[in-house]
Amino acid sequence: MRNYPNEHREIVANLLDGRFIIYPNQMFGILQTQEEEYKEFFKESYGFELNIESEFAYLSSNEVAEKRTRDFTLFLAMLCRELDYSGKNFRDSIELGTFNMTEVEQLLKQSSKWEILEKTSVANFEAFIDTWHKKNLINKTGNQFKFTKAVKLFFEFAVNVANSKLKEQINNESVKQDGNL
Amino acid sequence: MSNLNLSGKDILRFLLTHYEFVQMSFSSAKPDFIIDSDKFNNLIKEYNTGSEVKISISKITADLKFCRQLPTGEYKLNGNYTSFLEFIFDDFILDLPETLKNRYQAIFTHFTSLQTEANETKIILLVQEIIKVVEKFLNDVEGQTFRLLRDTESLKVNAENHSDFTIRIQKANYWIDEYIIPLNAILNKDHPNSVVNAIMQIQRYTSEKRILAETYELKREFEKLYGCAVNAKTELDQTLSKLTRELLPLLERIKSDSIILSGFYHFAENIDQPENYIIPLPDLLRRTRGNVISKTFSGEAEFFIDQFNYQTPEILYEEEVEEIEWLPDASYFKEQLLKEDIVDDFYLWCFEALKVHTNNITLSKFFTVSNLILEEDIIAEYYDETRYEILLSDAILKMPKVKVYEKLSERA
Repeated sequence: MRNYPNEHREIVANLLDGRFIIYPNQMFGILQTQEEEYKEFFKESYGFELNIESEFAYLSSNEVAEKRTRDFTLFLAMLCRELDYSGKNFRDSIELGTFNMTEVEQLLKQSSKWEILEKTSVANFEAFIDTWHKKNLINKTGNQFKFTKAVKLFFEFAVNVANSKLKEQINNESVKQDGNL
Repeated sequence: MSNLNLSGKDILRFLLTHYEFVQMSFSSAKPDFIIDSDKFNNLIKEYNTGSEVKISISKITADLKFCRQLPTGEYKLNGNYTSFLEFIFDDFILDLPETLKNRYQAIFTHFTSLQTEANETKIILLVQEIIKVVEKFLNDVEGQTFRLLRDTESLKVNAENHSDFTIRIQKANYWIDEYIIPLNAILNKDHPNSVVNAIMQIQRYTSEKRILAETYELKREFEKLYGCAVNAKTELDQTLSKLTRELLPLLERIKSDSIILSGFYHFAENIDQPENYIIPLPDLLRRTRGNVISKTFSGEAEFFIDQFNYQTPEILYEEEVEEIEWLPDASYFKEQLLKEDIVDDFYLWCFEALKVHTNNITLSKFFTVSNLILEEDIIAEYYDETRYEILLSDAILKMPKVKVYEKLSERA
């Protein structure tokens, strides 16, 4: 890579901080147009994978995974569950809505699954939101927060889990049927 | 002659008085409107205990013709009642699109006959028949769409546990594949055998005939059929748009949402046994700026930096010694010595004179100055054997007390 864009340092610094770079940020456009070069750059320099999805980009590595990712996924799973229970369209709420921090904390604490969240970094709710705000997965203003487009990565994860479970079920059923024969 | 033993008013009165009973029978007989004999008798018994006006099975079968007993013993509700009850309870039974298709085949058949028929009376009968079938078909499609829409809405709410997600996904899939896509095909005007296509043909044919038909009577009939076709086309278009623009996206949405919820459910349930969910979590980075992470790169970098670690202190050490080292100039000190008339303790004077210039008084520096005692123009006198210590940075000297002064002859 011979010509570095002006934003090169900012792009590298953001991604190495574990931040998501999100459309329509200019940096995202640069990453998209120089996808091959940047993928090679991060792979060769740091051994990281650069993932560029349709609306966001991030680095991943199987050597230094962010342990709190598990906590975030759990938090999102519980929030979706509670929203669905209360009859709301959880996907619209998560992708487009604004949340009040106090209300969400209350909602989660009332959930029967709070005992799981209680043992994770979600328990210190404000610090938890701040952490993910820094990573651009959440946008926090005052006592309000919104999810950024990067949240779709976690929906995708859920779809993959469900599909793999579904496959497992189908396989189990066919094994059972074979057994019956 | 009516085949009813009672008047229409009696039937309506029965429906009104025993509204709850009718509703219960309707619900338990759904979807084929056949109800088990024991179940039906219990239903009547239960109803009679709570009701002032009693019901007897003979009355509702023989007089009211609400239902009839089948040879198998079960009771079958009368179709005339059920279609009316579907309407008043707003509860339509989903017909398979195949059934609908068979029904609208009649429109095709009658329309083909109409185009070749010459007999005016027969033409009028065919036109009336087509209008009847079209109206019935429109009614059916409307009922079906409404039912689908309402059931879909009910799918959206309240999944209490995981099996509900699976049911939601299955139902959504089933409706899309078995109802919406086939209904769409029936209603799609681009499909040559679709009902919409038939209706458009009727519309085209009658729009001409209503003006050019031979008699006024025929013109009036064609005018009616034309109106019916125009209206049917509009209604079916609306239904189609409801199906494709509202219902299909809604069902797809419910399906994909349920998949997400079901995935999250599995994830949360197995949170302590991550091996149970095969899919790895996204490998996000911790803040890593400034840390070298790749193992190969880290090794190479450490090797490279180590070289500097080794050499740098050596170079600095040598430079430091060279810069700081100060050596006394003998002639300068002799001058200083000659300025004094008499020095009572020469070696102490040497030490103190050097100390003005450096703290690091080494043996060699001390000797450079103390050698002045050997100069020809300096006279040294010393009295006794007593010695005292002079502390240098690299030695301790035991020196006698020596008095020195300049030779008088030299001074002159």
